[in-house]
Amino acid sequence: MTSRDLPNPGWGPLSALPGNPLMWVLILSEMLVFSAFFALYAVERVASTALFDASQRELDPLMGGLNTLVLLTSGLCVALAVEAVSAERIRRARQWLGASMALGVLFGVIKGVEYAGKFEAGITPETNAFFGFYYGLTAFHFAHVLFGLALLALVTWRTSTENVETAAAFWHMVDLIWILLYPLLYLLR
Amino acid sequence: MTTLPGTRRLLTTWALLMALTVLSMVSARLDADDWQALPLWSAGLVIAATGFKAQRLLMVYLNLRAATPAWKGAFVGLVLLTLTLIAGGYLAARLS
Repeated sequence: MTSRDLPNPGWGPLSALPGNPLMWVLILSEMLVFSAFFALYAVERVASTALFDASQRELDPLMGGLNTLVLLTSGLCVALAVEAVSAERIRRARQWLGASMALGVLFGVIKGVEYAGKFEAGITPETNAFFGFYYGLTAFHFAHVLFGLALLALVTWRTSTENVETAAAFWHMVDLIWILLYPLLYLLR
Repeated sequence: MTTLPGTRRLLTTWALLMALTVLSMVSARLDADDWQALPLWSAGLVIAATGFKAQRLLMVYLNLRAATPAWKGAFVGLVLLTLTLIAGGYLAARLS
């Protein structure tokens, strides 16, 4: 690959990354932040295995799995929006962005139902260390979902290839983090 | 603008991601009536499926396949490191 062929000439080492290079910096930093939390979770789990096992039983892995399927499908819609906008099919791109946002909202609704069930059962972030991690990690991720939805709404209004590509990269990062979060909290018991 | 994955590749990847998610759920024995620790092979399958999903998402959805091998290696390496942390923590707790 010559420097002229690079997707972002003039960005130094980031020149070879597709899309907005700064979004890749954000993705890298977010992955590192979540990895640090995962490491803390691992240490706490080893220290309190019985407590983590007992608490994990209270989670519903089917709800988590359903949310994974919803978020991955939302990711497909946003990727199709990028394809559409790059082909100058703005109306179609907006339709895909709309579908992606609707699925993002559905993710939020499912998460809300899950949180409501836990609170009704008296399970809060202060119940124990496991639920501190559960609420902390999923709420931090959910904050990213909300920010991603705002970004998608913004680029639906200001639709350009660069804007949609940048918002899509953020949304895929939200997908990526959830993919790693799901087995950690719900499946590995 | 870099070369995009194309609709066909996106749809294939989506189908694969959905299938791997279902495989993870089945491997985690969500159908079991009583809660029990996973056999190590099941946990391994869950982690392998997660790693493959993350790799496909990076390469296709995020179009990292258009980047240089160094960047691809860096991001896939970070995913592997994260999965090693997850698997290591799980194993340490299981075997303690």
